[in-house]
Amino acid sequence: MSETALQGTPSVSLASFRFSTAETVKHVVLILGSLIVLLPFYVMVSYSFKSPAEIMQNTGGFFGAQELFRDDYCIKLGRDIADCMVTPIIYNYTTAFEKAPLLRYLVNGLVVTVSIFVIQVLVALPCAYALAKLRFWGREAVFGLVLFCLLIPVHAIALPLYIMLAKVGLTNSYAALVVPWTISVFGIFLMRQFFMTVPDDLIDAARMDGMSEFSIIWNVMLPTAVPALLAFAIFSVVAHWNDYFWPRIVITGDRSLFTPPLGLREFKGDADGDNFGPMMATATIIVAPLIVAFLIAQRRFIEGITLSGMK
Amino acid sequence: MQGTNAHWWFVGPALFLMVVILLMPIGIATGLSFTSYSLGNPGADFVGLENYEKIFTRSTYEKMFGATFRYVFVVVPLSVGLGLGAALLINSTRRLGDLYKTIYFLPVMAALIAMAIVWEFAFHPTIGIVNSTLERGCGTFLESWSWYANGCERGFPLWLTDRNYAIWTVAFIGIWQGFGFNMVLYLAGLTSVPRELYHAAEMDGAQTAWDRFWLVTWPMLGPTTVFVVTISFIRSFQVFDTVEAFYPQGGGPSKSVYVMMFAIYEKAIQQNLMGIGAAITVVFLAFVMFLTLVQRWLIERRVHYS
Repeated sequence: MSETALQGTPSVSLASFRFSTAETVKHVVLILGSLIVLLPFYVMVSYSFKSPAEIMQNTGGFFGAQELFRDDYCIKLGRDIADCMVTPIIYNYTTAFEKAPLLRYLVNGLVVTVSIFVIQVLVALPCAYALAKLRFWGREAVFGLVLFCLLIPVHAIALPLYIMLAKVGLTNSYAALVVPWTISVFGIFLMRQFFMTVPDDLIDAARMDGMSEFSIIWNVMLPTAVPALLAFAIFSVVAHWNDYFWPRIVITGDRSLFTPPLGLREFKGDADGDNFGPMMATATIIVAPLIVAFLIAQRRFIEGITLSGMK
Repeated sequence: MQGTNAHWWFVGPALFLMVVILLMPIGIATGLSFTSYSLGNPGADFVGLENYEKIFTRSTYEKMFGATFRYVFVVVPLSVGLGLGAALLINSTRRLGDLYKTIYFLPVMAALIAMAIVWEFAFHPTIGIVNSTLERGCGTFLESWSWYANGCERGFPLWLTDRNYAIWTVAFIGIWQGFGFNMVLYLAGLTSVPRELYHAAEMDGAQTAWDRFWLVTWPMLGPTTVFVVTISFIRSFQVFDTVEAFYPQGGGPSKSVYVMMFAIYEKAIQQNLMGIGAAITVVFLAFVMFLTLVQRWLIERRVHYS
């Protein structure tokens, strides 16, 4: 860091293309690091392409030879051998969807993450507006409570939450997956900080026009808050799409409610030698949406994920 | 606006949910931690401090604290250190910085449970890529390292099932997953270090990059470091996915990876011992809240280690 800083803006010159030992050493270190970081991704994608034999013997390079192999399960069903020859990559990915209701899991994941985000915003936005722009008795106390609640990680209180949900008979339902996350004190805090920067004149003008407080929130404040909301959306969706702990606790057995991480975990539970390929295909399918979205909109994602750093 | 009650409609739902979802559970956990409650039983017996006594005396829980602290005190310094190191290196190279940044951030985006399953494959003793790569180094200069020679002779460790290695292997995955997050926070911190300070430091005789780092960069990154350290603590205290994926029963070889979140899950959810689970929850919350309070206190003092 200090070097570039000291040189001021390094002008693009031939000098910067000259061989430099320090620069080479840096790149060697960074490339070694990259290899270790990428290793499991390589293994995951590569195995999702390979046949069981290639996985067991560790042959076939990255893509595998893609030679046809016999699908024993298909033969068990009594079909002709010629019909049961499959290409590993096709076998792995079709089995991932056929052996378990993976599509259902993905839809569940989508429904849960989107509902969580929408409810979080519906709850947090008006609260943040009131805390930032309205004067009322008890405002400081409410804000103090928000600051206190920021101390509590929801995973840590999973056990009492589970007992409460069990008492009202809500375990094993979509509600169980969504309810504990409906309140995001972090979202309230973030939006409040953001609304503080919106000029009061804007709101006064809206009031002058006869807008109700309610429509000020949705028609004036919401549009100004779009960048912050987008970052918060990424933060929230990534956290809940990848969450494993909470679904593990409240969803027991009922496959139709499984989120993608639970589905993958169950796949692992009864995987044998033949199923490693399809399991890796499942893992790839679950990890891919966020990774692809991240690669497309990197800056936004990094902003969103590190949002908690703005406190 | 004054005189209307609109604000209570705005604050009300959030207030209600905060109380019911965040505050009530703490009360419930505290209350239950003094009982021997099980789900499905009509009532519960008051047992006083018995649950806490168990936590602080029984060897199972001694192992739990041992595993948790071993994990946390390896993952936090290394993921913070590597995050800082990566940020400094990336910031000082002229090319490819964005590419490295993207790569190092990938594990943060990927579902940990999925990557845990993949790592389990990579660490597999016979078909895993880690040991087969290590075997390729046999017969080279690496064998002069006695650990390596030993591995070549008798086989490399069973990373996940040998109790001497298990917790460190799980910690390695924790570092792998978390350091990119810290790196990004440090990169953001570095952009706010004023360049003039480096010139000033050089005038003062800080000639080497090392001197300038200690004189300028490190103190200026103080607030970032406080934040990065706290968030790493809180995240690593909550480790669960990897442990559950590798050791669904019992917390690893000789309970050497029996971390707190897994203990809560095992005691309360699997074995329906809510009292003891609640007591662990309370202890856990105490740790996490204490850490966050320390962080806020440090931030308020506007840390600049000088």
